[in-house]
Order: sequence, then structure tokens, then C-alpha cells
Amino acid sequence: QPLAARQAAELQSKVVPSKQILHSDNMEMEPETMETKSVTDYFSKLHMGSLVYSCTSKRKNK
Amino acid sequence: RMEASCLELALEGERLCKAGDCRAGVSFFEAAVQVGTEDLKTLSAIYSQLGNAYFYLHEYAKALEYHHHDLTLARTIGDLLGEAKASGNLGNTLKVLGNFEEAIVCCQRHLDISRELNDKVGEARALYNLGNVYHSKGKSVACAGTHEPGELPDDVKNALEKAANYYEENLTIVTELGDRAAQGRAFGNLGNTHYLLGNFRSAVVAHEQRLLIAKEFGDTSAERRAYSNLGNAYIFLGEFETASEYYKRTLQLARQLKDRAVEAQACYSLGNTYTLLQDYEKAIDYHLKHLVIAQELNDKIGEGRACWSLGNAYTALGNHDQAMHFAERHLEISREVGDRSGELTARLNLSDLQMVLGLSYSTNNSMMSENHVADNSLNGARPRAGRRHSMENMELMKLTPEKVQNWN
Repeated sequence: QPLAARQAAELQSKVVPSKQILHSDNMEMEPETMETKSVTDYFSKLHMGSLVYSCTSKRKNK
Repeated sequence: RMEASCLELALEGERLCKAGDCRAGVSFFEAAVQVGTEDLKTLSAIYSQLGNAYFYLHEYAKALEYHHHDLTLARTIGDLLGEAKASGNLGNTLKVLGNFEEAIVCCQRHLDISRELNDKVGEARALYNLGNVYHSKGKSVACAGTHEPGELPDDVKNALEKAANYYEENLTIVTELGDRAAQGRAFGNLGNTHYLLGNFRSAVVAHEQRLLIAKEFGDTSAERRAYSNLGNAYIFLGEFETASEYYKRTLQLARQLKDRAVEAQACYSLGNTYTLLQDYEKAIDYHLKHLVIAQELNDKIGEGRACWSLGNAYTALGNHDQAMHFAERHLEISREVGDRSGELTARLNLSDLQMVLGLSYSTNNSMMSENHVADNSLNGARPRAGRRHSMENMELMKLTPEKVQNWN
């Protein structure tokens, strides 16, 4: 059947793809960088003075 | 005694977050807040870490709340570096929530303070964050439209060009600082920005740099990302063979990393690439692999896409029975997930196929058209009924805009 053949060919030509098919949301981004704070940092700064003091005073006592 | 207790809880929270257990870390930080402390710098650090933990847990409303507390506190105690950091974190969170204008204000504040303090590392990080906000802003508008990369409205183009400029500025500083990891991140996102702008050659150049740095660090995830992005860019350069090679490397690494979702994406990309190469057997092979994983992950949208793609590939091969099977499945899934345009596409595909099948064969075991079945049972003249039905569809096809035939 020539009509069927023609329509099958038409159908086939419809599936010739567009590059658009790949432009789904598959772009891969790099991770975010968050700024960090640490209790340990502040803690060590805060207590370093008194710690050093207590060590030196112990040594003096000896 | 109370002071020590708050600190102990916070330290345990820090340890847990560092070990990757943000959920447990959050409990300890929240307990620490409950106990309370008079040391406002410690409290600021707790708020900041709570914000970041919630950010990584994708609970952005909570992240916003705590980064906001941190910012207020840092300003109150006049901690300028602390304010810069809180602003940056708040900016990143607002970006994820889609509040781009406020995100820009916050990231700009991070940048201004870093410059004021002559903090080069902070300045570079703020520039990267600003680039990310403008990239997201541009993408959010670009993706709402239907254009291909490169065909962009002015506001989208402006946002993406700003993003590219910020990434370039960031790159200048991190190159001076010799921070290779930061260079890698900037190259990756710069490449993606060029891709959206339609500068595919520049995208390739940036992603090649990203790839190089990923290999230096033995960072397999970053390497896989680079291959995937290179594949995407080569598609739009019309170099499908090269794209297929990069997607194959993506697939290899996805399997190595045992990431099924990423493996599925790579198979889907390969299926599409082989469709573009008009090698439909290979396209079917990869789309079937994608289908299996989509079903395994219960990803209905992915399954629908796979069926649509398989229907097309089988149609191209002239295997109309298989095409019919997948078009029917595509219709079912589109209905299930409430995808109206998918449903319309599937209907059009089915009527097209039915037309061809109706003319080619004297039997039709499709469940698609109730009309069709009714016609048959009434007059029993299959080919004629099929033809009449087909002619109606021809009219429908003429009235259908071109776009419906495309992927959306």
C-alpha cells in the first residue's frame, strides 16, 4: 500500500530529533561553599590566656 | 557549670556534623541553645553551624532562620568578619529559596566587608557566591521558557553575563592564591554559564579545565560532572560522536560511584545522542537501560520520558507494534503524573501510529481508541474504518502546532 508506506515514512521523519531533547535539566553544578564558624576556635582563643596562666602559675609553685 | 554544658553540647554537635551526621549534630546544637550561654561569639558560632546543618539537610526555612540570628548577633557584637560570613550564608540560603534580589544584597555585603578587611579568601568566596546567585537567577527565568540555550531574553542574558564576570573575577583571585579546588568549582560553573549563554566553545574550554583539576585531586564525582557537562556542550556543537564518548565516561564513573540516578541520566543522554546519530538500535539499548533504573527508583517522570523516547526510536526503525506499546505506556504515565502536555504528545503519537497500523494491517490489537473498536464492531470493515479515522487525525495533525511534536 503506497499510502501506508508514505505515511510510515512521514511518521519516521517526525522522529528526527531536535537537540532540544537533551536540554532537560541535567546541567551539573558545582557545590555551594558555606562560610564556617567553630565553637572550638572561639573557645581556644577565649580560654588560651587563662590556661597559659594556670600552667605558668603551677610551674611557679613548684 | 552551665557554660561548660552549653560548650560541651556544641562541641559534640560540631563533631557529629564534621563526621557527616548533620541530623544528630542539629539535636546537640539545639540543646546547646536551650542551655544558653553569655558568650555571644560562641552563640554566633552555634547559630551559624545550625544554619549550615539545616542547609545541608535541605531544610532551607530553618537554615534561613538561624543564619538570620547569626547575622543579627554578629552585628550586635560588632564582629565584622562574623557579619561577612553570616551574610554569605544567608545569601546562599536565599538563593536556594529563589529570593535572588535579597540574596544579591547579602552576597554583596559579604564581598564589601571582605574587601574592607582585605580578606582575599573571603573576597574570592563572595565573588563565587555572587556568580552562583546570578546564574540561578538567569536559569530560573530561562528554564521557565521553551528556548534552547543561546536564544535568551535580555534579562536572562544580563544575569548570566554578570554570573560569568563574577566567576572570572573569582578565578583571578583564586589563581593568585593558588587555590586549585576553588578554581575547579569556578571553572565548572563558568562552563555551565557559557553553556546557557550559547557559548559552547567557551563552555568546553572551562569544563576541560574543570576536568583537569578534578583528575589532579582524584575527585571522581567532579570528574563525572565534567564529562557530563562536556557531553552536553558537544551536543550543541553538533559533535555527537564526541558527546557520546563523554557520556560513556560519565556512565562508567556513575557505575563506579554506584549512583543509580546518575547512571540513569547518563543512559538517557546516550539514548538521545544515538538518536541524533540515527543509530536507533543503540538508542533503544540505552533508553531501555534508563527505563529499568527509572522503574527501580520509582521515578515516574523518568519512566514516562523513557517510554516516549523508546516509542520514537521504534517508530524510526519502523517497528510500529513496539512503538505503539511504549506510546500507550507513555500515555498511561502522563495521566498518572498529571503531565498534560505529555498526555497530548502521547495521544498524537498514538493516533499517528494507529493511522500507519490501521493502513498496514487488517488487525489492530491496540487498546488506544474506543472509537476505533466501536467502529470495528459496528461495520467490521477494518481498513476502511481505519482510513476514515486516520483522515480525521490528519486534520488534527495539521491543526497541531509544531512545538507539540518536540520534547517539552
